[in-house]
Amino acid sequence: MIKTESVTKTYKDTVTALEDVSVEVEKGEFVFIVGPSGSGKSTFIRLLLKEEEPTRGAIYVAGKNINTLSSWKVPYLRRNIGTIFQDFKLLPDKTVFENVAFALEVIGKPKHVIQKRVPEILTLVGLGGKLENYPDELSGGEQQRVSIARAFVNRPLILLADEPTGNLDPSTSVEIMKLLDRINRTGTTVIMATHDNAIVDAMRRRVIELEDGSVVRDQARGVYGYGT
Amino acid sequence: MGRRFGYFFRETAAALRRNGLVTFAAISTVFISLFLLGGSLLVQKQVDLMAGDWAQKVEVSVFLRDEASQGEIETLSRKITGMPEVQQVFYESKEQAYDRFVDLFKDSPALVENVSAESLPASFRVKLHDPEKFAVISARLAGEPAIDTIQDERRVLNKLLAVTGILRTGAQAVAAIMLIAAGGLIGNTVRMAVFARRKEIAIMKLVGATNWFIRIPFLIEGMVQGLLGAGFAILGLFVMKVLFIDPLRSQSLFGFIPWFGTSHILFTVPILLVAGVLIATVASLFAMRRFLEV
Repeated sequence: MIKTESVTKTYKDTVTALEDVSVEVEKGEFVFIVGPSGSGKSTFIRLLLKEEEPTRGAIYVAGKNINTLSSWKVPYLRRNIGTIFQDFKLLPDKTVFENVAFALEVIGKPKHVIQKRVPEILTLVGLGGKLENYPDELSGGEQQRVSIARAFVNRPLILLADEPTGNLDPSTSVEIMKLLDRINRTGTTVIMATHDNAIVDAMRRRVIELEDGSVVRDQARGVYGYGT
Repeated sequence: MGRRFGYFFRETAAALRRNGLVTFAAISTVFISLFLLGGSLLVQKQVDLMAGDWAQKVEVSVFLRDEASQGEIETLSRKITGMPEVQQVFYESKEQAYDRFVDLFKDSPALVENVSAESLPASFRVKLHDPEKFAVISARLAGEPAIDTIQDERRVLNKLLAVTGILRTGAQAVAAIMLIAAGGLIGNTVRMAVFARRKEIAIMKLVGATNWFIRIPFLIEGMVQGLLGAGFAILGLFVMKVLFIDPLRSQSLFGFIPWFGTSHILFTVPILLVAGVLIATVASLFAMRRFLEV
C-alpha cells in the first residue's frame, strides 16, 4: 500500500529531516512511527501526502509513484488518504455535521450522499447525538472523533494520524485508539506517528522507530522503546 | 452541479461582506478607470461625428454669395478646375447643402426645422493634391465676385483633432493607471479573503479538493468586483449624457454639433465589461498564485 525507497529529505541543504528511509506497509496494516520530536515523523507524513517532495528516493502510494504525480492529480491522491492531527483542525464556525459534510462537499459529492453518509459516520464514531453542536462545545476527545469522522467519511484506503492523542488525557486516548483500531479492522491501512509510549506498548502493533531521520528499528509486534 | 453553484455563491457573498471597505475601494477604482476609458471612447466617437467622412475629403470650401450670377459662378468654376494644385472639385448646391445638413442633424429635429435650403450657401468643395497649398489657392481666388468666403476645412479639423487628441490620450492614460490600481485593489481583497479562509483552504487541500474548486469562489469574488465597477461606469456614462450632453442639443450655440447618443454608449458597453472582468480575473489569479500552491 505504501513503499518508500531510500527517501531522504533535507531542508536548505543542511538540515536533514529524513535519511535513507526505506519502509513498506502492506494493505490493512497498523503501523506506529515513533521517535522523539524532530526525528522526522511529521516529515514522513507530509511526504506521503505530497505536501512536500523528497530530496532523493521514491515514494509509492497505492501502487503509484507519487514523485512523478502531476500536481493536478494530487487532490485525487489525497482523497484516498484520510488525515488526522493533534490539533484536530476543525472549523470553529461550522457544526459537527457541517465540518464532516465540508470534506464531501468540497470534493463535489452530491447532497443526498452527504445527507446519508455524514450522520452514519458520526454515529459510528459515537457522536450521533451531537450533529448540531459546535466544536467548542465538545471535549477534546469528541473533537478528535469529529476529525476522525471527517478523515474517514470518504472511505479512504489509508489513514494517517499525526500525534492524534497528543492533546488528550490517557483515558480519552484509549477511546480514540479503540476507534482507530476499529477503522483498521475495516481494512484501512493506518499509519500513526506518536510518542505516547503507553499506547504503543498496549497495542502491540508494528513499530517503526526514527531517530535523527533514520529508521533505527522496524519491529513486527513492538513496544515504544527497548527494555521498557 | 446545483450544490456546487450554491456553494460558490454563498462563499462569494460572504467574502464580499467580510471585506466591505476594501471591496468598496476596489469597485470604486474599477468604476473610475472604466468611466474614463468609456469617456475617452466617446470623445473619439464625438470627434469622428464632428469631423465626419466628408470633412476629411474636402480641404477647401469656397462659399458663394447668394447674389452671384450664373456667369460669375461658371467663370469661378473654370478657374478652380484649371488650377494644377486641385485634385478634385465639386459643386454643392443649396439643396445639396440642405440634404447634407438634414442628414448630419437627424438627431436634432428642432434644428432642422429652423433651417431651409434658402438659408444655406452654395459652395465649391475642393480637394488639393497637397493640402498645404491652401494659401496659394486662397490668394489666387481673391477678388472673384462670386465668392463669399474661403475656408480651410483642414485647419478647422486639425485644431479640433489636436484638442480632442490630447483629451483622449490623457483620459486613456489616466484610465490605464487607474485600471492597474484597480487590479491591485482587487488582488488585495482576494488576498485578504484567501487569508481569512486559510484554515478552510488547508482542510480543503487535505481532503482532496481540486485547486480550481478552491480558487473559483475567490475568482468569482474578484470578477464580481470588476463587473460591478464596469456596470457603474456604464451607468455613469448614461448619467453624464443625460445631465450634460442632452441639454446641449437644445441650445442654439452647441445644438448644431452632432453629439454622441445612446447607441454610442451601448457600443462601449461590451468593451468596458470585458476590460473590467479581464483585469479582475488577472488580478485574482495573480493574487492567489502564491497562496494556493499544492
